[in-house]
Amino acid sequence: MERLGGDHEFLRELLVMFREDVRMNLEKSRTAIAKGDYEGLSRAAHTMKGMLRNLSMGTAAETAAALEKASKESLQGESKELLEGLTKELEGILPEVEAQLADAKP
Amino acid sequence: MRILVAEDDAISRTLLERTLQRAGYEVIAVEDGAQAIVELVKQDAPRLALLDWIMPGKDGVEVCREVRRRKEQAYTYLILLSSKESKGDIVAGLESGADDYLTKPFDVDELKARLRTGHRILELEDHLVEARESMRFQATHDLLTSLWNRGVIVELMSHEIMRSRRERSCTAVMMCDIDNFKSVNDQYGHAVGDDVLREVARRLHHSVRSYDMVGRYGGEEFLVALNKCNPESAVSRAENLRAKIGGCAIQTANKPVTVTISIGLALSTEFTQCTVEELMHQADIALYAAKAAGRNCVRVAQPSGVSKPAEEQPKETSVLAP
Repeated sequence: MERLGGDHEFLRELLVMFREDVRMNLEKSRTAIAKGDYEGLSRAAHTMKGMLRNLSMGTAAETAAALEKASKESLQGESKELLEGLTKELEGILPEVEAQLADAKP
Repeated sequence: MRILVAEDDAISRTLLERTLQRAGYEVIAVEDGAQAIVELVKQDAPRLALLDWIMPGKDGVEVCREVRRRKEQAYTYLILLSSKESKGDIVAGLESGADDYLTKPFDVDELKARLRTGHRILELEDHLVEARESMRFQATHDLLTSLWNRGVIVELMSHEIMRSRRERSCTAVMMCDIDNFKSVNDQYGHAVGDDVLREVARRLHHSVRSYDMVGRYGGEEFLVALNKCNPESAVSRAENLRAKIGGCAIQTANKPVTVTISIGLALSTEFTQCTVEELMHQADIALYAAKAAGRNCVRVAQPSGVSKPAEEQPKETSVLAP
């Protein structure tokens, strides 16, 4: 919140962006891993890592970072596991985001 | 101050954009390296840039290299944004031409502090460029009149004459001298003499086309080169310059002073084998002939060595009409 300068309307804007970007990048990751496209997977993981860190979602951000690293090394099993883990973590976060967005509605 | 932000992740980009706007910057935000380069090499591009390291297409490091490759641009202060795992790559980033790096997610105060460093460097750069340009001007221009100085006007004329020979066009070289200038200094003092020199220089400069050249040759002597000049109209153009000087009194600090000039004219087409120095010498001989003919007139150098009178014969005007 410090980085947002206490601006709730802006936080809302970012959360809407986050919700869409998470869905899009998870989708990209699944497609990439199915095709064995580790470069695409690492790019998607990198993007998710960035946005999670920006929103101070530390645990999920570290999973995304680990996924980025594993996919860079083309570790199939580990990548798959980490993507599953990250998906679960995000599934935990998204309802919270939805709740925040509902609360913040004017 | 304008700043460019290149970041592919929408959330980071929006966050940076908002933070910088709050800090008083005008932000130009782009999504990838290719767009960043387009913005940074534009005329009047932002001088500060925050570049994400990893972007699709051209990454931050490639943007740094490309911007530095184009050296003619004013200096741009480049800050790379990297995530904490890529610290090992920082050396490579700085070697590509980045000035600094910042680890994401950024701390607002650190971001502002690093941008202030950027401001300091840019200010320093601006001062240096300003000093260099001022020295360049001083090295090439006459201090009193701001016309080209002797060395430069002769050099420029030399190039112009070679070009006119290649293109079979004509360059007219005019040696112009203020008549009885010594008496202006004697009668009114050197400050008024300087005012007269400045005003004569200004009138000469404003009476020729932008691609002609005017320089101060020394003392009260000026060199004018009319490039791509029609030889038939050279004399009338010289007459026009003469009229611009003598036709109207000069307002000096003390009082209006009227001066006239004599002009010796040499055409490059009449002296096809001559160097610039020889051509100037011919113009000088014609100038002497103009002085001998009573001043305030134009004489043309002839290959036969005789300066013929200019078309219209002016009557000599009193040099120091009040």
